[in-house]
Amino acid sequence: MASSALHSQPQFNVIGFADINYISADSNDADGFAIGQAVAHLSASLDDSLSFFGEFTATAKDSEYAVEVERLIVKYDFSDRFKLSAGRYHTPVGYWNSAFHHGAWLQTTASRPEMVKFGSKLLPIHFVGVLLEGSLPSGDLGLEYKAGFGNGRHSNIARAGDAGDLNGDKAWILQVLSKPRWSRGLNLGIGFYNDEIEVPESPSVKESTLSAHAAWSNDSPEIIFEYLHSKHELTTDSSTSGDVDAWYAQFAYRLPGKNRAWKPYARFERTRVDDTDPLLGAEALDYDGGILGMRWDFNPYATLKAEYRNEEFDNGGRENNFRVQLAIVLTSL
Amino acid sequence: MIHLPFKIRARRLCQIAICLIPIVATAKADAQEDTAANPLAIVVHKDTAVDDLSMNDLRSIFLADQQFWPDRTRIILLVRAPQSDERDFVLNRIYQMSEAQFRQYWIAKMFRAEVPRGPKIVFSTDMTLDLVIAIPGSISFIRADDVTDEVKVVRVDGALPADADYPLK
Repeated sequence: MASSALHSQPQFNVIGFADINYISADSNDADGFAIGQAVAHLSASLDDSLSFFGEFTATAKDSEYAVEVERLIVKYDFSDRFKLSAGRYHTPVGYWNSAFHHGAWLQTTASRPEMVKFGSKLLPIHFVGVLLEGSLPSGDLGLEYKAGFGNGRHSNIARAGDAGDLNGDKAWILQVLSKPRWSRGLNLGIGFYNDEIEVPESPSVKESTLSAHAAWSNDSPEIIFEYLHSKHELTTDSSTSGDVDAWYAQFAYRLPGKNRAWKPYARFERTRVDDTDPLLGAEALDYDGGILGMRWDFNPYATLKAEYRNEEFDNGGRENNFRVQLAIVLTSL
Repeated sequence: MIHLPFKIRARRLCQIAICLIPIVATAKADAQEDTAANPLAIVVHKDTAVDDLSMNDLRSIFLADQQFWPDRTRIILLVRAPQSDERDFVLNRIYQMSEAQFRQYWIAKMFRAEVPRGPKIVFSTDMTLDLVIAIPGSISFIRADDVTDEVKVVRVDGALPADADYPLK
């Protein structure tokens, strides 16, 4: 029996995620329970080389649920060096956006960092196009690359250009990663993202982003540091430009022995956007925040997180925010 | 149904637990002795053009960071189901993970679209052998005493299970 014979019919895997939250915040009159996201992840191995991945979410809004195709990828693996895919991705810029996606159970914390939160305007969270990825001949350094080409942001800059690019200038991405084989869980990376964005009633804006990260994803400890620098300038007047600097650092440590179910964590974040930035200068995105939290894995498939957040948006005074999250994963693994 | 007082029930539970301690301890010691006397062999399909793997290579394959053999045959990883000594040993020595970490690792790997599926789960040595014999590109682990001529045993860091310096003892 050849291995391909094993795949004479597609093999499907379904993973589900859901989270339920209780949120109390200084600035929010509507304290209370909130359904987070219900997530369905479908993957299928169509033969030895061809596979499909889909991620679909239902997010609770004020009076309805928003259903979204978050990722939809068809991938062909030629070898470990070359894997070509097409579809809708979480843009491989930095670490978090490629590592955790929409399942709250997977991430240690209850919430994503502000700079990569869903709906963020700082980063193009989604990307529609083609992606070539694979390993580089580097021995124990474990070098990998990702190179993408596709539609840039929509004129609503929090969204991807799902139905096509608004101009002829496609976005491109290049990321180089190192996952050293001598240190399990270590992930170092640097990436570039380049696009030209059509903004309503304004000249288009050239966007260049540099990202860098260092992550050690072992449970004890877990350390993630991610930095982003973007430059935006008008295509018609390069003197009208502005910079964005954003970073976060997250630390967590799973307790030893009989307390292994417990994992305390902390994160510090900062975002600064120049007032002169032609794309984001008027968006009031400056941010300082810190969180302290505890994760309790009381079941192999369920976790409870309690998180205190102190934050300040655009120098508007500090706010306190407390969140409890019950997150589950549904899988036969 | 007779409802015994709490104190009596608690005492009986303690007695049962104390009786079980030597059984559990003996079973665990037996498993460790088994692995020393009868180490795990890494077995692959006979046509696989690989004879020797370093521990780092082996770890990359078991973590699905390497998914193809050098001849570009897809690697098919077979892992024993939970509650087997062989699986416990591999999680401890190759993955260096607990069961919970192992589960989370594969969920994350699939969720990141790095692999379309987790490892194939096998439930016995016979099933492991049958599938390694049948599937080109497959790799798994069984006790050295259970190896047959129909599969290939790969060296790990240059050593075979019978060698003194074999790393999976």
